[in-house]
Formats: sequence, structure tokens, C-alpha cells
Amino acid sequence: MIFLFIALPLVVAGVLPLVGKVSKRVLPDALANAVLLFLLVESALLGKQLASTGPFVQEFSWLGEPVNLRLALDGFSLFMLFTVSLVSFCVGIFSIDYMEHYGSKANYWALFLIMIAGMNGLVLSTDLFNVYLFLEVAAVASYALVAFGLEHDELEAAFKYLMLSVVASAFLLIAIAVIFGVTGSLSFTAVASGLQDLGIKYVVGFCAALFIMGFGLKAALIPFHAWLPDAHPSAPAPISAMLSGLLIKVSGVYALARVFFNIFGLTPALSTVLMYLATLSMVVAAFLALGQKDIKRMLAYSSISQVGYIVLGLALGTPLGIAGGLFHLINHALAKGLLFLNSGSIQRSTGTRNLDEMGGLAKRMPITAATNLVGSLSIAGVPPLNGFWSKLIIIIALVQAGQVGFAIVAVLASVLTLWYYLLIQRKAFFGKLNERWKEVKEAPFWMLASNVILALICIGIGIFFSLTIITWVRPAADALSQGVRSAFGSWGM
Amino acid sequence: MVLQILLLFGLVFFSVLAILIKDLLKAAISLAFASLLLGIIFFRMNSPYAGVFEISVVAGLITVLFMLTIALTKGGDAVESKTASFAFPAFFVIFIIIDALVMKKLLQKVPALPGPEVGGTIGQVLWKARTLDLVCQIAIIFAGVFAVLALFRKGGNKDE
Repeated sequence: MIFLFIALPLVVAGVLPLVGKVSKRVLPDALANAVLLFLLVESALLGKQLASTGPFVQEFSWLGEPVNLRLALDGFSLFMLFTVSLVSFCVGIFSIDYMEHYGSKANYWALFLIMIAGMNGLVLSTDLFNVYLFLEVAAVASYALVAFGLEHDELEAAFKYLMLSVVASAFLLIAIAVIFGVTGSLSFTAVASGLQDLGIKYVVGFCAALFIMGFGLKAALIPFHAWLPDAHPSAPAPISAMLSGLLIKVSGVYALARVFFNIFGLTPALSTVLMYLATLSMVVAAFLALGQKDIKRMLAYSSISQVGYIVLGLALGTPLGIAGGLFHLINHALAKGLLFLNSGSIQRSTGTRNLDEMGGLAKRMPITAATNLVGSLSIAGVPPLNGFWSKLIIIIALVQAGQVGFAIVAVLASVLTLWYYLLIQRKAFFGKLNERWKEVKEAPFWMLASNVILALICIGIGIFFSLTIITWVRPAADALSQGVRSAFGSWGM
Repeated sequence: MVLQILLLFGLVFFSVLAILIKDLLKAAISLAFASLLLGIIFFRMNSPYAGVFEISVVAGLITVLFMLTIALTKGGDAVESKTASFAFPAFFVIFIIIDALVMKKLLQKVPALPGPEVGGTIGQVLWKARTLDLVCQIAIIFAGVFAVLALFRKGGNKDE
């Protein structure tokens, strides 16, 4: 019943404010986390089902009448669904303690669940207009969540995020309108076949450019990144983790890949444009991250850089490249989620995000220091952690495809990444303990629990990387590398 | 044909009004008028899908959200910007010129498949053909309402 992934969070979100009247904290926490846990278990079970049945479409009837609720699940959507469920569950646990002092928890959880419903819907829908609508659902919830603290910075960041997101939505909507105009349809299958029959190169090119700008803005690829370094650091830490870990990937990378692989079909020209954009993001954002003093801002720039890696792997278009890109997607979602949550722990304990003011925190917060080290080394690509394998696969794929130049840039950007992550580790956790932090305590239980779970998953995937690739990444990569055929064949429409 | 032209003129008129008017409430109302006219145009051009969405979402829901927000907030300092008052009319004129010169020829050159045979009442379109969109609309209404509740909560600072 894949409709549950949309309906359950929505229904619970609708009930939560009422529940909040009865119990301000415990019930909303319990209810929301129960939903997140259920979705995680359900997505894992769906993996088993998909392995035996193959991709399938579900349609629904209401009191015997068929209604047009059409959702499809293939390897790629399942992969995203699982990533969303896994990271949001960990972020959910973290929020129990972290959101305590913000007040209005029921509202927070309602918005959080709506954002998840939006992301799940986007991943499952088979219709361009539904993609746009679910994208907006997730986005509207995320604007409010970025501004949740109601401080000046947060409101300003949310406003900037809203303004640039609206521009992205406008681009997407125009592209969808043009496609609807020429093909007379919105469903992936009909659009894919319509565009092939018509053979209208220029119109497809125009729409592709609009989609690149729209999804590029959502994924914060350079030069469309201006909103991210403001929005992500200003949000409460769990929301930063959700935005950087998931939202930019679902509404940016997933949608981009779905449109370009399964609807338009990846052409060499498109592939080249995307690879250059990705490389630019990778390198420029890594340099920008180096100069940051605010720990969350540094992490935000790092997200732009890592999305560059993901898009580079995908845009290469070879099966190995796609697998590498997708594997890096889940690895980055986990590790960046972990790092943003860690930064939240630090901010809550010390009250600052400025790296220069920290120092020696490992003595007072040993577990946070350890989990932060795992996250940092994972994103920097140090073996045997998960990030190493995905970067390795991307680089091998680049070399195999004869793109040695891109491969060298990817390696060099990885060195830069290691540099600024060691900088965080050294400035925040190592060295002499700053006098100001003598009384600092380790983060509360639920925050620690979530950090430890994420760190263990990072290590686990690193050790059992081949198992992860076989069960989760390969079916997803297959769905993408089949290209336009996947839209016709596997969904049987 | 005359009615169509009148509708189109009305659409442009109210859209421009929505941007130029200083009073936010009146601007929101004229925007709602513009989208109502657009919705009618969609229906007359045999696109009930678009008409339904235009009227229900833009003319209905969004206007309500605008009015709610305007009612909940206090008037801030008026922002007077000379560039803004020049930029919009200039952009508008340039757009009209490009539109008149290019669009008709361009559209004739693009081949298109016939659109789907849609018809029926609003109810049929909304409940049977685009049910998932309806779910999305509910989700967006939820998101909007909770966003307003969260952002305008009492004493909403962190030390509450």
C-alpha cells in the first residue's frame, strides 16, 4: 500500500495540533516518531516485495469507483523512499530533545510530517504536474520550518529561500506547461513517447534548459546556489539536516534524474552541460567552504560541493557512474545529516556556531566528537567509511569513460573536502579546552542516540558496502540506466 | 470572439493593477479577479483542468491565504523604490513587443499532438481525473495553515 507513504504523514499532521492541546510534548513526540518508524519499516519491507515482483503501479478505487490515484514504485523511487525514511527517522529522534526549547512542538511535527509526505509523493508520482505539486508541498513546509525559531536571521533566510524557490518553481511550471502544450499529456509514459514521436529538438532543448535551472536551483548547483548557505545554517539543526540531507536531493537531484533519464533520455549534450555544472559546484563550493568560520555555513557549502559529486556521477550516464552517484546520494544524506545534527548538539551546549570560539570540546563532549569524526571522514572519503566507496566508484566510472580530467578534479576536490573537515574537527574538538566551555555538558540522550545510530550506519555501510549496493543501489541505477525504456516497459502503462 | 478579447483585456488590466496598487489588500483582490478571468478563459478554450485549478487554487485558496496574512500582520514601512516603479512598466512594454513580433510565428512552427478529449463537469475533472492533485492541494493547505500557526505563534521566541 504505497499510498500510505503520503496519506499517513498527512493524516497524522492534521491530527497533531489537536493532540498538542492534550499533551504539549510527549504525545506529539511519540506519535510523530511512531509514524517515522513505521515508514522506515514499511520501506524496508517494500524492498523485499519489489525484488520479487519488479516495478509496479498501484491504482485505487474509492467505494467501488476507480479514482485517479496512480503511484508507481521502481528501484529508483524505492531507493529514495528508503533514504528519506531512514534519515528522517534519525532526525525525528534528535528533534525530541533539540526542539524542546522552541515551543509549539505539535506544529513543528505537523510541518515536519507534511514535508515528508511531500517528498514521498514526489518520489512516487508518475505525472509531471504531480511532481511539481508535491515539490511545492515539501517546499512550503520547509519555508516555515527554516523560519521556525522566528529570529531575525531565520526569517531573512526563509524569505530568501522562498524568493529563489519561487523562481525555480516558475521555471519548472513553464517547462511543464510547454510539454503539456506539445504532447497533450502529463504522465511520464505519454510525455516520453510523445516527445520521441514529435522529434522537436528545440522545444525539448528549451524545456531541458528550464528544468536544469529549476531543479538546479532546488539542488543548489552552482551558479544557482545563492539561497542555500543562508537557509540551511539558519534553520534549527534537525531541519538543516533534513534540507541538506534530503530535500535538495529529492526535489533537486531525484526530479532532475527522473526527468532527464526516464522522460527526455540523456543526450550527450545534456550530459556534458550537467557534468560541467557539477564539477563547478564541486570545486567552487569546496573553496568557499574553506573560508567559513560558522560551522553550519561550512557544512552548507560542503553540501553544494557534494551534490556536485552526485550529479557528476549521474550525468556521466554509464551504469557504474549512475550507481556511484546514487550511492554517494545516500552516503551524503546520512553523513551530512549526522554532521548537521552534531553541529546542533554543539550549538545547544555552547550557544555558538563560530569555530574560532570553540576548542577542546572533545574533553567535554566525547561522544559528539567521535560521531562528528565519523561523519567528517565519511564525507571526505576516507576508507573504510561509506563515502570512500561511493567517491571511488564515481572516480573509477569517470576513468573508465575516458573522462580523466573530471576524475582528477574530483580527487583534488576530495582532498579539499578532507582539509576543511579536519579544520572543523581541530578547531571545535581538539586542542586545549577553552575556559568558557568548562561547564559544558554532553548532549541529552535522544540527540546522542540519533547521532550514534547515524554514525554506526555510516560505518556499517562502509564495511558492508557491496551488500548495500546489491540490495538498494543497483535496482535504482538499473531503473535510471534503462532510460526512456523504463518509463514504457517496467511501469506497464 | 468579442467576449474573449474583453476577457483577455480584463486579465491584463487586473494583473497590472495587482502589481501597481500600493494597498496590499486591494492588490490581492485584483489578483484574484485576474485569475478568475483566466479561469473562465481556460474553460472557454476547452481546458477544464486548467480552469478548475486556476479558480480553486489561485482565485480561491491563495487569495484566502493572502488575506489571512495581511489581516494577521501590521503594515510596515512603505518601500519606495524608483527602480521598481520604472522596471515593471519597461519590462511590460518589452514583453508586449516581443510577444507581438515572435509568438504567433513561433507557435505555428512547433508541432503538437492533439490534446486529450476532456470534458464534463468540474466535479468529474476534479474527483475522477486529477484526484492526486486534490491530495496535493489538501497537503498544501495544511502546510500553509500550519506555517501561519507556527510563524505567528504567541511569544514565539526560543526561551518560551
